[in-house]
Amino acid sequence: MNKQQIMSDLNTIFCQVLNKTSLELSEETSAKDVDGWNSLTNMQIISDAEKHFNIRFKLREIIKMKNVGELCDAIQSKVSI
Amino acid sequence: MEFLSLPYIILIIFAFVLYYAKANYHWQRAVLLLSSVIFIGYYHLMYLCVAVGIALFTYYAGRLLYLKRGTKSSPYILAGSIVALAGGWLAARYWSPLFPLGISFYTFQALSYLIEIYWEEEDPEPDLLNFTLYMLLFMKFLSGPIERGYDLLPQLKKAHPFCYENITYGMKSLVVGAFMKLVIADRIAPFLNAVFGAVHGASGIQLLESTLLYPIQLYADFAGYTNMAIGFGIMFGFKLSPNFNRPFVSITTGELWRRWHMSLSFWVRDYVFVPLSAETRRWKSWGIYFSLLVTFTAIGVWHGAGWNYAIYGLIQGLIIIYETAAAKQRDWLQNHMLKQIYKPLFIIRTYLLFAFSLLFFRIEKMSDICYVYQHVFDGVNTSLKETNLGMPDFNWIAFGIAVVLMFVFEYFNSKRDLLKLVTRQKVWFRWAIYYVMIMLIFLFGAFGVEDFIYIQF
Repeated sequence: MNKQQIMSDLNTIFCQVLNKTSLELSEETSAKDVDGWNSLTNMQIISDAEKHFNIRFKLREIIKMKNVGELCDAIQSKVSI
Repeated sequence: MEFLSLPYIILIIFAFVLYYAKANYHWQRAVLLLSSVIFIGYYHLMYLCVAVGIALFTYYAGRLLYLKRGTKSSPYILAGSIVALAGGWLAARYWSPLFPLGISFYTFQALSYLIEIYWEEEDPEPDLLNFTLYMLLFMKFLSGPIERGYDLLPQLKKAHPFCYENITYGMKSLVVGAFMKLVIADRIAPFLNAVFGAVHGASGIQLLESTLLYPIQLYADFAGYTNMAIGFGIMFGFKLSPNFNRPFVSITTGELWRRWHMSLSFWVRDYVFVPLSAETRRWKSWGIYFSLLVTFTAIGVWHGAGWNYAIYGLIQGLIIIYETAAAKQRDWLQNHMLKQIYKPLFIIRTYLLFAFSLLFFRIEKMSDICYVYQHVFDGVNTSLKETNLGMPDFNWIAFGIAVVLMFVFEYFNSKRDLLKLVTRQKVWFRWAIYYVMIMLIFLFGAFGVEDFIYIQF
């Protein structure tokens, strides 16, 4: 699965969780750039991403993710295994 | 040794002069260590022994965790260290006749330091003296901010040359903090203490006024302390973490906790909420609700041994759970209501919820808390005179103006750094502002009232 496709799927997940009609995510986007993306909604996003891509993150992997790009990389590394 | 006491002022002057006598890292570290030891030991020698003991324990536990990284024993070392540190804190909190000042704050620093090493986010500090200073640094020792190792340790490892601009900036922050503490918090404190200390003797209107004013007193007290701690830090070349960010403009309780006592709420978010919600994320929303309840009850219990503190935390958790569950309805309201109505309405709602829940924080006896809830809307008993809570009219006017000034200052300061702006003004204008501020503090400040509220935690 390529990065662009993961980003597009993540965009849909973010919109669903954050109750937004559209969002423009980039690899550098972090919680401070998106209204409503906080510690409460972050875990819902991770959980929905895990379900969608059929993967499972470790706690340490979740803690290390600082922006959308790192989430995308973590998903890509697990999907391609 | 309070920030506003003569011994502290003497200590800070000596420390300051010695510190900048030589812009050398080893020298400055020695001055800060000695000042911190005097500061803590002045309260009680036992406080110093406990703090140094915990610093040593954490330093060696951190090194051991690093050496055993990736081995099977590593989780056990972390668990053992957490049990020892939290156990020591619990023993001091619940069973010790003498509660070591600052222990709640530096124990949390120690725990975050070890967890970060375990998570491989940070490496341990190799130098014992640097680490001891990180734990004992006097300006944040009593009531925080709770500093993370990765923020403060690098600042402790370099020389800080004399910088006039930084030093005057720090002094301005001190003045703002002193204004909040002396003119606002300490001005109203004796009258609110009288009401909360004998709730059965107060009328309904007095209970209501005190309930509504207490968040402002607590905020001015603790944010005033924090501004002073940050100001002292800047004077010595350090950037300490902010603890408040205009909490009373929050439109939800969740937002309020991202703006109130931030160094504590971010600590519990990172080391309690995130791991818990990650472990329970398969439960979907229920996992988040469960984690919120545990996290906020922990915040409550951190404050003290009574059930009232646990209930205070639990209420915050329940409100945030409701807000999380009702997020879509709130968004709908936001989209269908005028912004000028929606925002103030939700700001007032958040403030009221916080003020009424703070009764569990302020009053220890459950029967007294119940009494306040039962009688808070009873109204005026005898005459309108009682609405002044026994505070002279002059004090009310001074207090009212000071509160408005504080909020106006914070509003404009959030748009642009006003303290920096003052620095850029002409000398005569700058000094006129300094004189007015200091005159205001001396004229309207309440001196010799009491300690900072958060010193007891």
